[in-house]
Amino acid sequence: MTILGKFKFFSALVASAMMLCGLTSNALADGHSGMAVPSIKSSVVMSGLENPWDMAFLPDGTMFFTEKCKGLSVRTTSGKVHALYGMKGSKGYKSSGSDLFCEGQAGMLGVVADSKFASNRTLYLYSTSNKYHGSGCKTNFEKCDGNIVMKFKVAKNMKSVSGRTDIVTDIQYKPFKSDQPFGGPGAHNGGRIRIGPGGYLWVGTGDRHRGLCPQDNSLLCGVVLRVDGDGNAHPGNNPPAGADNRIYTYGHRNVQGIDFRPSDGRAFTAEHGPWHNDEITALINGGNGGWDPHEKRAGRGACPDQYCGYEPNQMEGVDPAVRAAYTPMSDTRFSDLMTPAWNNNGFSQGTGSAAFLKGSNWGIYENRLSAGIMGIAFGDTPSGSRIDMYDIAADGLSIRSVVRMPLGFSKRFRGLVMGPDNALYATTDEGEIYKITASK
Amino acid sequence: MSTIALRVLFLVFLNFSGYAISGDKEAGEARYNKTCINCHGPAGKGAASYPKISGNEISYVTEKLQIYRDGIEIGPNSGLMIMMAKPLTDEEIANLAEYLKDAKYTN
Repeated sequence: MTILGKFKFFSALVASAMMLCGLTSNALADGHSGMAVPSIKSSVVMSGLENPWDMAFLPDGTMFFTEKCKGLSVRTTSGKVHALYGMKGSKGYKSSGSDLFCEGQAGMLGVVADSKFASNRTLYLYSTSNKYHGSGCKTNFEKCDGNIVMKFKVAKNMKSVSGRTDIVTDIQYKPFKSDQPFGGPGAHNGGRIRIGPGGYLWVGTGDRHRGLCPQDNSLLCGVVLRVDGDGNAHPGNNPPAGADNRIYTYGHRNVQGIDFRPSDGRAFTAEHGPWHNDEITALINGGNGGWDPHEKRAGRGACPDQYCGYEPNQMEGVDPAVRAAYTPMSDTRFSDLMTPAWNNNGFSQGTGSAAFLKGSNWGIYENRLSAGIMGIAFGDTPSGSRIDMYDIAADGLSIRSVVRMPLGFSKRFRGLVMGPDNALYATTDEGEIYKITASK
Repeated sequence: MSTIALRVLFLVFLNFSGYAISGDKEAGEARYNKTCINCHGPAGKGAASYPKISGNEISYVTEKLQIYRDGIEIGPNSGLMIMMAKPLTDEEIANLAEYLKDAKYTN
């Protein structure tokens, strides 16, 4: 048989097999046949915002959103925007908190609606506050209760909030600069809040550049909290003996991404690595993320301001693998270590928010975890601002694949949330909110 | 005096007069988009905790980048900026300053 003859024979064989299997011969969005590869498109919903950080949706499409140094607003279904609750000094808000401020990475960050919002009109909000500093916060090396979670009642006309109640008041904050590359006050401030199974509130916090934080467990820094709507610990939390019982997991660096797998409700976090190893991690109740940047541990000596998070040689370019060996993101010294599913091939590129893609419109990507990557590029690390989509194994210990979302542009994707229309919404540090749709 | 001698004299004058050679805006934009954009956002508009750096006089940006390049701290994120500014040449600094003076972000 000639080569042409062999080709014709093979083509006929493939076509016959497709017919027998019942596969469609219609080309889908990207030209594949027989695979539900969706067409992914994006559009700008809002622009000209100042550091939009997070969003929360109601079933009818109403969108609450935060701007880090301004406050909380809502975009109604008619497209009107109402400025609801501002930081100190913000203009144009219906009301404001004189204790709320922004600094560096800190400010008004996470927002989420109560699972029973339709009946209780309750909204939760994470922000930096000076109301509970008390006798602390005089140095970087002491307790500093500088981040809070508040809850509000939202008016039926969506034009105001009222009844502020501070339900968590002791999340740690970094008050002064330190001798680190990203050493400004407000560093590693966490801030993502989400409602998980059973209507409980999950809160991601950061290590605030304090070496002892993530493994300490008496302070709320470098931990994930699971609390009820009044800020009380979930009765099933299982942190180590002596720990604050609001803690679900500890040993984290800076949790800016939390979401729950649709198939089983399991919580996953996305974390920004220290110039190495961004991580996606399946959480285990009481588990340890394995981040321990304290000096004089694990064979390390003294570090600048007692924090080894960027060592060795924090002001120079160093192979990420060398840094990872010195201060690992997931230190295998810990027997309760939660092994990450993904580590960005050892790179750190600014992995932040995370959201599972829900709805059959996402085709083969349905139920994959998406994560916003903000594109930090130091040394030889490529920038890579993008949204990734991860196919995570059932046991949460690995990924089967990771695919970059084909948007056709790069941004610093700060916040990701699924909308009630099964579209993915993304805030960017450039000041936009994008709607990203998928259709088969 | 020969033409060559006049040229040499002119260059010596430039060297000691503090005169800065004007930058190339397009080259500055290309250099900006290589690394600076990752933190300071498109067209120097600022992003996250990284400040807006567009709209400043050429002398301001030039001075700040030279200070960072010399390893001198002038803010809480100096560690980062010193690292990023170290490899910059005089020409690259001039180009960046020229570009950032009028850079504007439009989505």
